[in-house]
Amino acid sequence: MSYKIPMGPYHPALEEPYKLDMICEGETVIDAKLHIGFNFRGIEHLAETRNYVQVIALMERVCGICSNIHTLALCSAMEKLTGQLPPPRAQYIRTIMAELERLHSHVLWAGIAAKLMGFKTMFMTCFEIREKVMDVLAAISGNRVNYAMNRVGGVNRDITDPDSILKMVEKLEGEMARTVIPIFTTSRTARSRCAGVGVLTNEKAVSLGVVGPVARASGVPQDLRKASPYAAYAEMSFDVPVQPAGDVTARLLVRALEIMESCKILKQALSKLPPGELCCGDGKFDFTKLIATTATARVEAPRGEVMYSVSWKEGSRNPARVHVRTPTFAVMPAIRWMVKGARLADTPLIQASIDPCYSCTDR
Amino acid sequence: MTLLKEIPLQLSSTESWVEKGGVQWLSLDRMSVRLLATAMNAMHARFITITAYQLPKDEGFRLEYHWDFDGQLLGFPFDLPDKSIDSIFDICEAADWIEREIHEEYSLEFTGREYEPLLLRQGDETGVNLRDGVAANNAVAANKEKL
Repeated sequence: MSYKIPMGPYHPALEEPYKLDMICEGETVIDAKLHIGFNFRGIEHLAETRNYVQVIALMERVCGICSNIHTLALCSAMEKLTGQLPPPRAQYIRTIMAELERLHSHVLWAGIAAKLMGFKTMFMTCFEIREKVMDVLAAISGNRVNYAMNRVGGVNRDITDPDSILKMVEKLEGEMARTVIPIFTTSRTARSRCAGVGVLTNEKAVSLGVVGPVARASGVPQDLRKASPYAAYAEMSFDVPVQPAGDVTARLLVRALEIMESCKILKQALSKLPPGELCCGDGKFDFTKLIATTATARVEAPRGEVMYSVSWKEGSRNPARVHVRTPTFAVMPAIRWMVKGARLADTPLIQASIDPCYSCTDR
Repeated sequence: MTLLKEIPLQLSSTESWVEKGGVQWLSLDRMSVRLLATAMNAMHARFITITAYQLPKDEGFRLEYHWDFDGQLLGFPFDLPDKSIDSIFDICEAADWIEREIHEEYSLEFTGREYEPLLLRQGDETGVNLRDGVAANNAVAANKEKL
């Protein structure tokens, strides 16, 4: 006999509200249905009521963790509308901020995953490291979240002392290489809890169009930083970690290896930071001289591809439309396939393994 | 690029690709949306999303379908004077949630499919992102007046 077990919208295993209705037979999940919308704020609609300065601050608040990546995508799309090209120093600073944000996001996720595995010490360690990443972000931007770094045509703040930031990053890299990486790659506790759990096959990952670390953990070698480089990524040397297994272990490994690749990118960008301006021209968005009325930009957020489509009527202070396709929106439908056949007790860890962001998804 | 050049021929279109804002655009008749999805599958292109636009006044809606092909962003715009278009969900399962979202946000119909609610709607009312004239928005405005 099958029965339905609802998880959410408010549940200890969920960071934010969504609902997973699971059909179970005994302890085994047979099927599941997902419901989102509990955080729906109508931000895309609200964006149409904001001017070209306000809309950047608004879109930074789509997500509390990857706030910088949203303004990066939005500003990149707006730059395509006016034909502005940020100067090299601004491109490097954008790359540095994006990679610090990836570190922050991955370490935060590692902590939550550790907690769900019952590995509380690891949770504490990850959150301690996360604080240090946030210290670096605050040293650059003055803020721990919502950094307000991006503007149309460049960035708002300079990195005046890259050497001191480089030292902080090197120290962080050492700590992560000593603690997070070995535990997630070799620990028997992590492996026994995650191996073979929540498998998303390569075929299903391709069919569902999943993105980011979830796709790469199912053997899909897809990363916009390589496939369609933006900011200063074309000048960086780094690898894209890919794992074929598609289970929770593979997602752990991909993110752990990405932490080390992010450190590699950060060290290159900080040591090669070119001199020059922070913004092109007078740094203003001239909405009276648009070279296109619609533009699209894509960036690789910590959770995968973010795409912004921006439409602007020439002469208007406000956008006509801002559409955001967030990575979790593309990845979340895969949860249904990951939990099919899983033990009920594993479902909190499986849903957490995609590093979901419901705030982004609902917008 | 060779594969891309074949797409207009496969879809019996006389249009050609236009590069704009970093996107390769191809205009097609809206009746060919399912053929398009089939052609994209055959190319192993990755579906990204559909962007819905509410056009000014009574001009209707426009949908822009996006696929990624080897890092190249492809765009296909379709005008919808009558608020409906064929669903591609059965051909391209990645389009499931975005079709549901657009249905709830703009009350557009993707014919040939059923909708599981995403809960963006207010009760049974869809169209939460429409500019005006929506019962849901009217209800919000009425509540504001009461306050």
